[in-house]
Amino acid sequence: MMASISKSEKAYIQASLLSSNPLRADGRGLHDYRTVSLETGVAPLANGSARVNFGKAVDEGGGGTEVLAATKLEIEDVKPGEGEEGGRIVCTVTCSPAAYPQLSSNALDELQYDYTTILHQTLSHPSLHPTDLGIIPYKKSWLLNVDLVVLSDAGNIYDALFMSARAALWDTKVPVTRAVQYVPPQSDGARGKTDTEDTMEVEGVGSSSLDTRHMPTASDFELSDYWDEGAPLSGREKWPVCVTLNIHSTAYFLDATLLEEASIPLKLLVVYTFTSPTSSSIQALRLVGPGELQLPQIEKLLQESEPFARQLHTALNTKLKDEDIRRNQKARDRFALRS
Amino acid sequence: MISFASFPTQTQNYGITKHHPDVQDDVNMDIVFDEEDLSSKRLTCPGEVLTSSQTFMRGHGTYVVDEEVISSVAGTIEKVNKLISVRAVRTRYNPEVGDLIVGRIAEVQPKRWKVDANSRQDAVLMLSSVNLPGGVQRRKLESDELQMRTFFEEGDLLVAEVQAFFADGAMSIHTRSLKYGKLRNGQLVVVPPVLIRRLKSHFVTLPCGVDLILGLNGYIWVSKHVKDNEQEGEEGFDAEAVYSNRNDAIDDATRSAIARVSNIIRTLATYFVPLTDAVLLEAYEWCVEQEGGVADVLQQDVGEALVAALNAPR
Amino acid sequence: MSSRVEILNDGGYRSDGRKQYELRDITIDLTPRGSADGSATITHGLTEVLVEVFGPREAKVRSQTMHDRALINVEVSLLPFSASERRKRSRGDKRVLELAAAIKSTFEPVVQTSIYPRSEIDIFVHVLQQDGGLLQAGINATTLALITAGIPMIDFVCAVTGGVYSTSPLLDLTTLEENDTPNVTVAIMPRTKKVTLVSMETRLHVDRFGDVFKLACEAGAVLHQEMKVAVESRTRKLVGAMETGPSIAIPGAERGDRDVYMEDNMNDDF
Repeated sequence: MMASISKSEKAYIQASLLSSNPLRADGRGLHDYRTVSLETGVAPLANGSARVNFGKAVDEGGGGTEVLAATKLEIEDVKPGEGEEGGRIVCTVTCSPAAYPQLSSNALDELQYDYTTILHQTLSHPSLHPTDLGIIPYKKSWLLNVDLVVLSDAGNIYDALFMSARAALWDTKVPVTRAVQYVPPQSDGARGKTDTEDTMEVEGVGSSSLDTRHMPTASDFELSDYWDEGAPLSGREKWPVCVTLNIHSTAYFLDATLLEEASIPLKLLVVYTFTSPTSSSIQALRLVGPGELQLPQIEKLLQESEPFARQLHTALNTKLKDEDIRRNQKARDRFALRS
Repeated sequence: MISFASFPTQTQNYGITKHHPDVQDDVNMDIVFDEEDLSSKRLTCPGEVLTSSQTFMRGHGTYVVDEEVISSVAGTIEKVNKLISVRAVRTRYNPEVGDLIVGRIAEVQPKRWKVDANSRQDAVLMLSSVNLPGGVQRRKLESDELQMRTFFEEGDLLVAEVQAFFADGAMSIHTRSLKYGKLRNGQLVVVPPVLIRRLKSHFVTLPCGVDLILGLNGYIWVSKHVKDNEQEGEEGFDAEAVYSNRNDAIDDATRSAIARVSNIIRTLATYFVPLTDAVLLEAYEWCVEQEGGVADVLQQDVGEALVAALNAPR
Repeated sequence: MSSRVEILNDGGYRSDGRKQYELRDITIDLTPRGSADGSATITHGLTEVLVEVFGPREAKVRSQTMHDRALINVEVSLLPFSASERRKRSRGDKRVLELAAAIKSTFEPVVQTSIYPRSEIDIFVHVLQQDGGLLQAGINATTLALITAGIPMIDFVCAVTGGVYSTSPLLDLTTLEENDTPNVTVAIMPRTKKVTLVSMETRLHVDRFGDVFKLACEAGAVLHQEMKVAVESRTRKLVGAMETGPSIAIPGAERGDRDVYMEDNMNDDF
């Protein structure tokens, strides 16, 4: 989105960036983020949720880029055109008209589609796929919906989208399921319903006698504990973070405001995953804007962006762990209050 | 590089005893209908009966039904002689003739510009209401109409005065003064319009080399100080300079002062402190005394300390 | 859908432990959000609605403007994760359009649109969580958001849903109760006790309607108190904050005596 900006404002911002001692409109350095407010568990009916705001002013200030994200699990049959073996992830971004008051509803749809594409392509990539989205092999699996809602946009929307998605996925709990099957009464006893583990080896149940392959035979499942929210989604460390480099000739800066975004020709989105303290991999890369870059420049930018992404990743992890603790404490307090 | 915070927790404890609806009415009776001393009750909200229309005339923010003056907004009651009005605590800009505003060109139309001024409708700046190059008094030419964008184009910021109103309530503004016109050398900060009071002068110069234009519509222009004798004089009216988009050279110290003043304005607006030259000056001095960074004042604890310092009795 | 849960048990309690006429907990948050001119979040129990108001401002589509009053534009969005079943509704969804139309027609006679000819007032309603009473929460939050935006209205609008279980009237229904009982949403203006909206999608015996309707009107007055307290405490806070500042600017103004101070302040204004 382009904010309305005058030529002299643009020139002022550009000159500030290129000066020997760069200082931004709100006194930040080139690589400083605005304060990020983050909260998980904001949507009680979701399996995981988070709210993120970049640059919210305290008290009467309002403002900031705010995104709400939530995950919701649905059961699907594994068959063509529907569920996939091992589950699947679908990511959808919705933009509130309040975030883009000047856009027509068609333009808003296009923008949503654009955000959805990059989020979905990145987060549903096989390298990030969690291992615990299957329920019954070849029969049932989880569909993990990640819904993001942009409530307001005050710049740097991509970083906010990825961060809220990561926080919501981190917060996601998958109900623990147990496959069950019907076993015809046998000589040793009349057990009707048995755990899969016990009966896996029984041959001939539900499959043709001609079929010699070992087929998993469970046809239904039950929730192992109705009251428990479930187990955290596996691989929560892997969910990526995005760092947007806003590029103006030789300088670049992070976490741009709307006016800053309107003053620069080019943005480079780099989405990183950190699997260990030493290794990282780029999950997505995208150039936005009319400007262009030379290959050596991109190489340099990528190299320099990695430490930023790592810092972001580390700080976010710390915050997410704090949130886990806070919510456990809150739940305990509430329990103590009741009893 | 990055720091996280939590959202403020919602503790909506109004500190008011709740009563059964039947009792509540009696309690309200005691507080609300104190006709004798109307001035003591200064706050009101929509649907509240203020007084009788026989003794008072209704002003803004009120309406009359069955000879009763009733409030239509939440805010403070104001009485001037027999006129009673309610000023909304937070609202869009309500223009008055003579107001100084800062606006942004939204659209270029035949012979006029539409200007966003944070009001109910875009303001109208007629081609005939701007100073044209080649002498203040010269006649408008057809060629001027064709090159309107060389004066102001979409996105440009300007300072102007409210001149008159059209029948539908839209304001007409003019820039026919050397103090008015296109804005350069700085940045815009937006605050709620109610925080800008009518002052003797809305052009403020702070000793740190920063000029402020406090638009009554809540748009504040923070820029590098331009000495009066450097401003374009009446004789040497130079279109190149007046309608230029180029900034002067601005040194780092001035940039940092501009950023600091902008942050102070944002912070004070956050705490809903009305902005006057004196308040801003004192706030700036306080911030320099603290010897913190330019962005420090945006932090909650520093912001609260600043407001506390401003409110401290002397 | 019929549930196995008893709507009203023999002890006179409902499925969530409330009595027949008991309203759910209400929380109200009026702090500003994003770039909106006014905003409000209200919760009725587990139902949570956020409304943002923009305007009155220059109309986006000039052909829709009206020469004698402001256009009110309402858009509703039900967030996909707001209900227990995920469901994404597009902007053209019938239910979403119905909600928007109901809110628009409720507020058109209440907002003093004639003050703002050719302008536009945009009301964006976000349903964050659904547990019954969507229209009720939407209307109450819109009232509060319009007030915080300083848009003149002739009165508050307070809405409550009422239902009838067998012959007993109930107030402020949850989703479970809405599904199982005939129900009606009533919006009133507390000062005049005028009704600005009655919305019923189910069948209800005409003898029962009177009871529920009357109860809902009374409950509206109770809600009015809650909403008013929230508005007043915010107004008081902001006005209080505004008064402390200018004491520096206006020499001679006595801070102790408020009324004198107010007069000074006004002289300064004109």
